[in-house]
Amino acid sequence: MNKHLNNVQGEAVGPAVPLSRRHFLIGTVATGLVLGYAASSDLLGLDQAVAAPAKFDPSVWYSIGEDGLVTVSVGKADMGQHIASTMAQMVAEELGSKWSDMRIALATNDPKFNDPMLGAQITGGSWSTMMNFDAMCRAGAAGRIALTDAAAAMMNVPASELTVRDSVIAHAKSKTSKTFAEIVKGGKITKTFTPDELKAIKLKTPDQYTMIGVSVPQLDIPFKVNGTAKYGIDTFLPGMVYGKLVLPPVRYGATVKSVDDSAAKKVPGFIKAVTLDDKTMTTTGWVVAVADTYQHARQAAEALKVTWDHGPNAKVSSESLLAEAKRLQKLDDSGLFFVKTGDTASGLASAAKVLEAEYTTNINIHVPMEPMNATAHLDGDIWHIYSGNQFPTRSGAIAAGAAGVDPKQVVLHQTWLGGGFGRRLDGDMMVPAVQAAKAVGKPVKVIYSREDDATMDFSRPLTYQKMKGGLDQNGKLVALNHDVVSAWPTKRWGIPAFLSPSVDKKGALDAFTVNGADFFYSVPNHNVRAIINEMAQQATPSGQLRSVAPGWTFWAVESMVDELAHAAGKDPAQFRIAMLDGAGDNDGGAQRLRNTLLAAMGLAGYGSLKLAKGEGMGIACVSSQERKTASWTACVAHVAVAPSGEVKVKKLTVATDVGTAVNPDGIRAQVEGGAMWGLSLALYEKATMKDGGIEQSNFDTYTPLRMSQMPEVAVNIIANGEPATGVGEPTVTVVAPAIANAIFNAVGARVRSLPITAEAVKAAMKA
Amino acid sequence: MANLIINGRNMSVDAADDTPLLWVIREQLQMTGTKFGCGAGLCGACTVHVNGEAVRSCQTAVKEAVGKQITTIEGLSEKGDHPLQKAWIAEQVPQCGYCQSGQIMQAASLLSKNSSPTKEEVVAHMDGNLCRCMTYARIQRAVLRAAAEMRTASTGSDRRNT
Ligand code: FES
Ligand code: FES
Repeated sequence: MNKHLNNVQGEAVGPAVPLSRRHFLIGTVATGLVLGYAASSDLLGLDQAVAAPAKFDPSVWYSIGEDGLVTVSVGKADMGQHIASTMAQMVAEELGSKWSDMRIALATNDPKFNDPMLGAQITGGSWSTMMNFDAMCRAGAAGRIALTDAAAAMMNVPASELTVRDSVIAHAKSKTSKTFAEIVKGGKITKTFTPDELKAIKLKTPDQYTMIGVSVPQLDIPFKVNGTAKYGIDTFLPGMVYGKLVLPPVRYGATVKSVDDSAAKKVPGFIKAVTLDDKTMTTTGWVVAVADTYQHARQAAEALKVTWDHGPNAKVSSESLLAEAKRLQKLDDSGLFFVKTGDTASGLASAAKVLEAEYTTNINIHVPMEPMNATAHLDGDIWHIYSGNQFPTRSGAIAAGAAGVDPKQVVLHQTWLGGGFGRRLDGDMMVPAVQAAKAVGKPVKVIYSREDDATMDFSRPLTYQKMKGGLDQNGKLVALNHDVVSAWPTKRWGIPAFLSPSVDKKGALDAFTVNGADFFYSVPNHNVRAIINEMAQQATPSGQLRSVAPGWTFWAVESMVDELAHAAGKDPAQFRIAMLDGAGDNDGGAQRLRNTLLAAMGLAGYGSLKLAKGEGMGIACVSSQERKTASWTACVAHVAVAPSGEVKVKKLTVATDVGTAVNPDGIRAQVEGGAMWGLSLALYEKATMKDGGIEQSNFDTYTPLRMSQMPEVAVNIIANGEPATGVGEPTVTVVAPAIANAIFNAVGARVRSLPITAEAVKAAMKA
Repeated sequence: MANLIINGRNMSVDAADDTPLLWVIREQLQMTGTKFGCGAGLCGACTVHVNGEAVRSCQTAVKEAVGKQITTIEGLSEKGDHPLQKAWIAEQVPQCGYCQSGQIMQAASLLSKNSSPTKEEVVAHMDGNLCRCMTYARIQRAVLRAAAEMRTASTGSDRRNT
């Protein structure tokens, strides 16, 4: 029997909600926010019928049961950032509920659960907290007001004399009180809010917070220490069979020439080899071996003899991608301008000193611990798909495309994600699951092997950046050209809304390849050119890897700024601080970044601690992710460099200004993990392409950081009362340049390629 | 047909001798707390105990486990209250959580033999377990916390560590 079919997450995070229970629901209708009663089977919007008002569009944010439990519906992918818990925390702050009464339900791809600002279901960009803060707080406040009014009526006292705390509404004068449960059970709540009334609700000021700023325990953690949290891979459906991929040796562009299943037919339980016909073009040349168990599917996949036409990318390698990037950068008419301030040509011409440098990053792959997987089941004319996904709106459409149905006929059931990091923004796993299920007429669970997962990753692109900076007589940076050549991952989505017009309106560029290059330093003449590497676009295809563009733009910017400081004979920190003057558009952000940098420097003992020979400290500061969504983050890296060029990171000190910290310990966890990611990308992770395929296929050749490689890490969260910002990614971007700058300060070796290798350091020491 | 003793219960599964224990536990018996991460002995997500030793179930054929005591995360403690599980909550270790069953099972095999490991011993014992969310600092703290708690508990009730 299938235990997980009912409510994908209800059982993982709290008791399932019985069908008959009366609910106090909050949701939007065409006319505004509605607070009403509904009989509801669960929070996924099934079987909802509402007593009042008559027409209810079940845009459910949360419900309160007769037991007083508050279940928050989360339309966000929770991949370990505990965003579900954070959403509940924001609701609880204004609602006045007790933390132990809070529950989570993960939503489906139904548009009613779309992000209020993004108009889609997508989790990324470190956007979730900042973009949902107001909505979730307001939803909580509206609920508190409705409950308070109902309590006032029940207790026959003025609402203004009531206080709300820990799920209890109390009247001090009469020493009486009602619990949320009692009010929901007995109250008459008919309150509705128009959008304007909703907007007019006065939210708490930070000094009134009792929940925001408190490190309450994350709601999802208990289920993750006893093995009961359900991930996509843990789905079981009655009659379900298994699919294992058989993949071409090239990442993209192959076509299947022949499939010989004569040997596979001898594998017990083998059902069928399904050659995918993917009209969405998400996959190319994939075959699925379907069998009764996963072990048999693995054996059948092994036994299948498939031949491919390797297609147009069969000769592409990391070397050819880099050569192509260099060729494109040299062309005057390449790319589109992301920044064009002043006149860099004359600025550079009149500069006292001009510095040029190239920075590169290799291909990186996500390899989240839970390999990609999906389970598809056609029930009537509705496809039910179980898979943890960061972009249900698009992945649901890909599933629909693969099935040949309207996207409305696809229900994507969200699960906990065993890591996302941007990998699960893609929907490739939908295709084999749907088409295999269609071909065999049964539910099919497709599980990628680690090798499938690694070699078919939507990777962080190989990037090539060329910078040219000019210093005046006083050593001030007066002009900077910055060219960024890469695949354009977000363009690949084919969603125009995610592209941005170039500053000269000559075309649409993928800002998610250049964000960060529009830094907060004041440089009078500044160009940033975004150049697409079409060869990489076709051959790799690239995706969004945790921190996306700032993961490479700040590698170049923060290294180059350091190089310029040294060329100007200035202290790199002073050089940066002088440029963080807050002039014009940089006002506000520049000062915050400066303060954060100073905080990190002070905490690390930068410039004051005496260091041993061969050791050095380096700094970097970033405004990741986007200018408008920055968390101000600075890092001081303390390294020891051996004569062999071997780099040991002794300590990373990170400071990050997040404005408002909803859950300080949760933020700390993200920053710790982000710092380790930054270190891992800086020193340990490298993927390469050869003959059109990714060469690394498992953790023996692609080697993320392990426990023994972890340095001391000091994390400092700055919460200064500004609005809350996101923390999942920014720290990732600041570590690599801080390490490279520290290496230079330790031994005078400048490295410009990621990952940093001992050979590169040693070569630079000699040079 | 293979007869296995998992978490003290006899279970029989229809699986060939050479089937990795991982797939039998996860996909056939549907005990999904044990996770698949690499299938190659490189990540530790699939760690279970066989006769008290932490092993990688993806590298253990069913026939090697027949007749032995197999323990999975579901059987580590009756109520999910093993000192390690409590410490994991106290230190708020998991992020995505996917690696954590394997981490806890790996750590449990250390503490069953060494009630006061040093930080270095923890690192050496845990280094084969990858955490892509990189929760390593908290894992370390949680193992040391659990060890301390187990020592206190055993002194308190005047029992030796077994
Ligand atoms: S799945 Fe067994 S060690 Fe990775
Ligand atoms: S918590 Fe995500 S892999 Fe360890």
